[in-house]
Amino acid sequence: MKKAEGERRRRFDRLFESHNVEIVAYCRSRAGSASDAQDAAAEVFLTAWRRVDDVPEGDAALAWLYATARRVLANQRRSARRSAALAERLALTPPPQRPPVDAEDSLVHEALRKLNPIDREVLLLSEWEGLSPAQIASVLRCPKVTARGRLHRARRRFRSAFQELRSGDESVGYGHSAYRLATNSVTRVVGGG
Amino acid sequence: MKTADSLEALRRANPRHKAGFAEAVDLAAAELRVRIETAVGADQPHGRQFRPRRLVGFSAAGIALATTAAVAVFLTLGSSGVTPGVQGAAAAVKMAARLTAASADQSGTATVRMTRDGQTWTHKTIRWNGNDLEITDESRGRPSSGLPLLVVSGMMYGHDPAHEGWVEVGPVSSIDPGTGTTPTDILAAVREDMGGATLRRITGTMTADGLTAANQPDGSTIYRGTVPAGQIARQTGFKEGQAIRVFPFGYVADDAAANPASLLDTALTVGADGVIREIAVTWGTWTYTVTYSHLGSTPAVVAPANAKSLRELRHLAPSRTTTSPR
Repeated sequence: MKKAEGERRRRFDRLFESHNVEIVAYCRSRAGSASDAQDAAAEVFLTAWRRVDDVPEGDAALAWLYATARRVLANQRRSARRSAALAERLALTPPPQRPPVDAEDSLVHEALRKLNPIDREVLLLSEWEGLSPAQIASVLRCPKVTARGRLHRARRRFRSAFQELRSGDESVGYGHSAYRLATNSVTRVVGGG
Repeated sequence: MKTADSLEALRRANPRHKAGFAEAVDLAAAELRVRIETAVGADQPHGRQFRPRRLVGFSAAGIALATTAAVAVFLTLGSSGVTPGVQGAAAAVKMAARLTAASADQSGTATVRMTRDGQTWTHKTIRWNGNDLEITDESRGRPSSGLPLLVVSGMMYGHDPAHEGWVEVGPVSSIDPGTGTTPTDILAAVREDMGGATLRRITGTMTADGLTAANQPDGSTIYRGTVPAGQIARQTGFKEGQAIRVFPFGYVADDAAANPASLLDTALTVGADGVIREIAVTWGTWTYTVTYSHLGSTPAVVAPANAKSLRELRHLAPSRTTTSPR
């Protein structure tokens, strides 16, 4: 019994050592705040600890962790939306202050915002997290061919949205867009879904 | 517009590439380690549902606490042999890099030396606390040898031998941005070299193959391996038509160290507390050493009390201003 527990512990240690930085980075780029990201990452690894026997071996472990992180963050957002709605009704909290973003970043985030959540997630898993279509398929639990098709479609839609925004932006100057987007939440833009 | 252009813009917007992101992730990972070790110690697989508790926030005090606790966990689990939190030398080195990054976040001291045939070639000490800096170049034969440059609350101070006293060189904002020589640039480079990309690059490459560990009587461990010169000395530009590769903390690499493919012998000394004490890189008869100390406990850099502004000095005879910053 102790031997089995020791093996589980060693397996979890390896999992944590190998992937904690990727999962923390993923959560930080999608959560509403640093502390939310930290809570999400902790929840991911605690889930992994509780279900260590279910975590696949090798490269598939990372996809499993990403999939878990995605669900944890989605739950967190739902909870945050409920809290925000309540706070708004009760006028308890001021609107969050968002860091300024540069003009191109603003366009990118606005173009991402125009995508539907699944396109956005597929695109960011590929372009920001560096996952292959096969790994994305594992994260989203869909066939590889579906992931490949979604990625192709997401790239096309992103290009179209970005191009449209840029051409519109050039007519009024980047500053206009940056100002307009300064109040938008970057994390909200990339986080939905 | 081509798809590639929009995707390039998307990749540039990746938060992972933004300044400070990697460092923030390192700190977060160090704190997460403490939370996980704490939680996992109290929770069993498939056991009761455990809700993660927010132990510390991202305040400076929180980071320091997380670091201290992480070190404690490292020592407890790493040395007990019961449930090792760190597996093997490679994991220990990576862990040490993270702990060092977290420890060095607020303050620290780095002493950089280069020797050739055992003789000191250059010697510089850098202290930082928050955004304040003290850089003392103690290399022989330099006019400024032993005379520190200070940056305190956005003001730079130098020591002018002609006036035997401190000079208020001017605000940080008076230096052209983008020159790579502003105190902000220096501080950013120090942070990168201390706990950021540089340290991760060195330790990451070092753990790839042939890493050895030797325990020392004082409880420290020396990890030895090889690292390609290109991973240590970054290419930072061109001078007289030649690419310049520069070591962390600013010295230009020479001989084999200038060839990015050269494998340089690297030794990493990790203290009993799990924090990196020294990095030593050797090639030919050269040795490049960075020694870290007082991480998280380096005192504040104090502005000299009687510094004169440059304008004042124009109206003063030499040898009128004397003081010391400490």
